[in-house]
Amino acid sequence: MSAADLSVLQRPNDRLRRRRVVNRLMEVLAWLAAAAAVFILGVVIWSVAKKGAGALSLDFFTKSYVGAFAADGVKQGLANALVGTFVVVGLATAMALPFGILIAVYVNEYAPRAIRSVVNLTLDVLVGVPAIVIGIFVFSLLVVAHGQSGYAGAFALAVIMLPFVARATIEVLALVPNSLREAALGVGAPRWRATLGIVLPQTIGGVLTGATLAVARVAGETAPLLFTCSLAAPGTHWNPSQPLQTIPVAIFELIEQADETSQAFAWAAALVLILFILFASLGARWLATRSRRKLERAFR
Amino acid sequence: MTSLDVTADAARRPFPGRRARLGDLVLQGAAGIAALGALVLVGLIVWKVISGARLAMSTFGLGFVWHVRWDPVHNVFGGGSLLYGTVVTSVGALLLATPIALGIALFLSELAPRWIRGPVTALVETLAAIPSVVIGLWGLLVLAPILRDHVNPALHSTLGFIPLFGEPATYGSNVFTAIIVLTIMILPIIASISRELFQAVPAELKEGALGLGTTRWEMIRGVVFPYSRGGVAAAVILGFGRAIGEAIAVALVIGAVTGVGINFFKPGYTLASIIANNYQGASSGVETSALIYCALILLVFSILVNLLAQFIVRRSARRLGGQP
Amino acid sequence: MPRNGKLVRSSLVVAAVAGVAALVVATTGTASAKVAGGSVNGAGSTFVAPLVSNWMSPVQQQLGIQLSYNAVGSGGGVSAITNKQADFGASDAPLSQFNPTCSSCVQIPWALAATGVIYNLAGLQHLHMTGPVLAQIYRGKITNWSSPAIKKINKGKSLPDKAITVVHRSDSSGTTYNFTDYLSHVSSGWKSQVGTGTSVNWPTGEGEKGSSAVAGAVRTTPGAIGYVDVYYAVHNHLGLFLMKNRSGNFVQPRAKGILAAALLDTHPKKDGSLSIVNPPKSRKYRNAYPICTYTYVDVQKSSSNATNIKKLLTWAITKGQSYGPALIFEPLPKAVVTFDKQQIKKIHS
Repeated sequence: MSAADLSVLQRPNDRLRRRRVVNRLMEVLAWLAAAAAVFILGVVIWSVAKKGAGALSLDFFTKSYVGAFAADGVKQGLANALVGTFVVVGLATAMALPFGILIAVYVNEYAPRAIRSVVNLTLDVLVGVPAIVIGIFVFSLLVVAHGQSGYAGAFALAVIMLPFVARATIEVLALVPNSLREAALGVGAPRWRATLGIVLPQTIGGVLTGATLAVARVAGETAPLLFTCSLAAPGTHWNPSQPLQTIPVAIFELIEQADETSQAFAWAAALVLILFILFASLGARWLATRSRRKLERAFR
Repeated sequence: MTSLDVTADAARRPFPGRRARLGDLVLQGAAGIAALGALVLVGLIVWKVISGARLAMSTFGLGFVWHVRWDPVHNVFGGGSLLYGTVVTSVGALLLATPIALGIALFLSELAPRWIRGPVTALVETLAAIPSVVIGLWGLLVLAPILRDHVNPALHSTLGFIPLFGEPATYGSNVFTAIIVLTIMILPIIASISRELFQAVPAELKEGALGLGTTRWEMIRGVVFPYSRGGVAAAVILGFGRAIGEAIAVALVIGAVTGVGINFFKPGYTLASIIANNYQGASSGVETSALIYCALILLVFSILVNLLAQFIVRRSARRLGGQP
Repeated sequence: MPRNGKLVRSSLVVAAVAGVAALVVATTGTASAKVAGGSVNGAGSTFVAPLVSNWMSPVQQQLGIQLSYNAVGSGGGVSAITNKQADFGASDAPLSQFNPTCSSCVQIPWALAATGVIYNLAGLQHLHMTGPVLAQIYRGKITNWSSPAIKKINKGKSLPDKAITVVHRSDSSGTTYNFTDYLSHVSSGWKSQVGTGTSVNWPTGEGEKGSSAVAGAVRTTPGAIGYVDVYYAVHNHLGLFLMKNRSGNFVQPRAKGILAAALLDTHPKKDGSLSIVNPPKSRKYRNAYPICTYTYVDVQKSSSNATNIKKLLTWAITKGQSYGPALIFEPLPKAVVTFDKQQIKKIHS
């Protein structure tokens, strides 16, 4: 080989080096992006934990909120908000779950293709409606006539939960193989029996996952409750026909107060909320893996 | 055969008997009513919002959309500055979040060692689960002072020739803080959808490119991106939809001032956040109706955005010939 | 498959039990609410919130009434009472300022206080301010603390070369009404450009929701200026301007200044409203603080909870006033108390 031939090998190497540098640069940027996300999450959770842990005490969970101008020495906490969230979210789940499951049953078992796409489109539109608009909707629907209440707040949350529950159930129903339906019908079971007694039970895991995720999503929603369930009387109440204090609304209101106690309470409430949502999300994920594995094992 | 065909067949058999037929009717009826109920619900939402906005619509007409003055004393309301604020904050957040989200998605699908993928994916989804009121709380009390004292002056001194980074803020609540907060909120949405799309790219295509001697980045640029282009576009649009509808976090950090301005370090307002702040105590029927008019604009905007994302997903699925 | 059947059945049983339990709890919740004594539930002004909060405990002890209050702002209070969502609404702006308003309500002035103008300038105490200069600041015409207009009224104080951060309310607020009413009185430029209202088109500045938030914003922003009920200023150890009244004196928003201003109008109009803003130059008002206001409680004339409401209000305008001075609310003048008692008579079940 002559020197001229060797020089041919020279040029591509320069370009190759440049390409490798660009490649390495992009890899570094991707690593940085992931690091940034983890860092932000860490900072947020660390701030909430650090500022909130101090105000967590037995009083916090057992006494209810008296006010920013309470006389010194009065013990207060956010028990009213914890109880209220439990009641309102519980009611919302009770409203959204059967509704969502029925919609999923209809879409998967009964609906002709055209209607199926219409219902799917409706669910997608519903997901896209901002929570604050839903709050205004429920306000003009229920609150103008009957006043604020836990029921109105629960209804607003249920409207937000509905598409999540319905979609999750649709997905899981579609996973149930037709052989199961055929088998049920083959032994003479009527259609409704087959659906309710055989097909649906297979999906319990997926439905619970969808419901848990929807609960995690909705437990932190403030906007729909602002106009429907925010003027709560002090003291801890369980009665949903009155407006109940809820954790996200309590945080929103506490932020405005300029004094130390209120702000400490706001952070503590945020900490409790984050922990609950994390717990629920992890629980849902574990449920999802477990039910998927069960389905796979059953129908291998 | 779909499940529908299988079970529809059953209805034709004479075997079941009267009780069964009643049961079938009840279940189908109930399920059908539920599905119809969902449609009615959406219709009801649209109707209620339109009827609430009617007073403002008749008073201000379509001009509401670009008129800027929001004056409760003289009962003159215009949503122009709110629409401007919504668009500016959402587009700003989108421009910041998209590259970072794509970077995260690439990291999780291509670059990360296997043992790191699970935990980091879980962490990114945890970021998505943090409620907006908590991000707003953190943004107002932790982020805003840091931005005001350290970041904004630095940005102004280096990039001050761009009018966006004008006079540095004296207070922490402004458009820039809102943009950062929104970025944090939409980041995980775009990242998780993109990650799933990148993971769905067929391995043969990727290996083929690598086999030809491309670097990993060139393979990503040449194979992964074009393949998932539609889905990523839809993810970005969904993130945009999330940003425009965000009321609580933005209400806490944006400074609550109507008006159109270029300087990001000045406070602003958006459609969603003015409703959150002012609805409870609107001093006149016209102001309440004007706020619902804002909700109507928001509703139309989000529905359109959602439909656009659906359309793009469907079109790209068709082009690829099957499930993306 | 049989295992799943059992799962379905047991989860149905659990759901049924939970449902029944929830119903039981909800209904017993209803029962426990009707405890002896009664309750009165109100909403509205953040201005009067400190006073109402301090009333809760003595009202419980002396009257056996459970008083609850949500400080959502004057606008929220008027809206709540108009829509009958509360037993009373509290507002610093008279009902005539709101539209829609509560035409079936009685309006009762039940507390007297001042709006303080607060500032955050380290180390500078007892600064002076005049109405016209304040209007210029809030119009965005004066933007720096070292401006000559401010220096002129604060001779001897070293004002820093710092930008003024204007803070105002973003929600519908009676405090805003009082503040803008004053600015409209002292500045024709303000009056024509912005006007008076519970919510206005602010020429400049940043908005905060609630008096506490305004106080918090000013406290954490060096160089900020804001307006709040005086109590919030004192409670947060914020600098308070001495405002120049029409007699030429710079007055603190304290008992003496408020009581002097209250002399301006002691006879409420037929609808119950009074205006004591910016008293004229006169020996009688030489110590008056110019930004004082009454704050009102609005009650439906016909209410199912009338007995408790009347008990509460009668106590509030008499014994309740003694809780005021510690929070810089001054006792109502006798003539106002007499008028109020007549108004309370109009409430019936």
